[in-house]
Amino acid sequence: MRRRESALAMVKPDMTPMIDCVFQLMIFFMLTLKFVQAEGTFDINMPADGIPGGFPTEDIKVRLVADADGNLVSLKIGQRHLGNDDRAFERLNSEILRAIGGTPGGPASKDTEVEIDADHKLHYEYVIKAMTACTGRFDQRTQQAIRYIEKIKLAPPRR
Amino acid sequence: MAMDAPEVDMTPMIDCVFQLITFFMLVINFESTQADERVKLPESEIAKPPKVKREDEVTINVGFIRNADGSKRVKDPLVFLPGEDVSISQMTPRIKKDLQMYKLQHPGDGIKTTIKLRSDSEVPIGAIQDLIKLYQEEGYEKFALQAMEEAPKE
Repeated sequence: MRRRESALAMVKPDMTPMIDCVFQLMIFFMLTLKFVQAEGTFDINMPADGIPGGFPTEDIKVRLVADADGNLVSLKIGQRHLGNDDRAFERLNSEILRAIGGTPGGPASKDTEVEIDADHKLHYEYVIKAMTACTGRFDQRTQQAIRYIEKIKLAPPRR
Repeated sequence: MAMDAPEVDMTPMIDCVFQLITFFMLVINFESTQADERVKLPESEIAKPPKVKREDEVTINVGFIRNADGSKRVKDPLVFLPGEDVSISQMTPRIKKDLQMYKLQHPGDGIKTTIKLRSDSEVPIGAIQDLIKLYQEEGYEKFALQAMEEAPKE
């Protein structure tokens, strides 16, 4: 009797099926895993009648001129040329801040609307750069985005 | 004198494997993102996901079919739909069909759908504007241009 009890105590469960299942599960999760990069968005209100929300707003016009290949040739705010390199978008950012009276988040930020008027061939990335420059800037100190303008629209397509 | 086979202690390995499974279970995302991998979005350090979840949104991917070396196979951009790629001018019947479905599901409501445009960096903005115009003609008003979140510059 004592011999049978000690024999039962020595029985170890067979781990093989469980390890098999666990490996199968791990392979499944590894294969189905997709690393998706975070995306951001720029909302644009574009009703067909051209007046977002029904209220006319004070407009700032940003003009982007493209060459035949779709690269940026000139960036303008109003009649002022800002160049065509990365510094041009920094200048645009400063001009927008000046246009809203230097106070992000103030009434001018809400009432002012920027209209981006780009050539038909211009690459999408330049419009996103212009939208980024108009929308605001990233503050290194607070690690927060400071918003200059809330309303951005695209001008009718140019041919 | 037969020697018993030495038993390997499996406990640490099983611990590790369970840790790995837990990690994969937590980071996995079963939700279909509707994002097409052929679209290389431009980057922006200001673009952030919307603070409030949109009521209804449709994702439209616009890009180019490229060769292995990155050159464009077709000059004009295409809209990547599930299962097929169509030109922007061919989108009107699809927009009408989507709108019919929306009206059946939301009778009496205005269109509250946001059209989320995921476009390749090199797509001409005119093509995107043409697409927006097609949606506007059917009564859509809300659009969103997508960009990849960029790590802030030091």
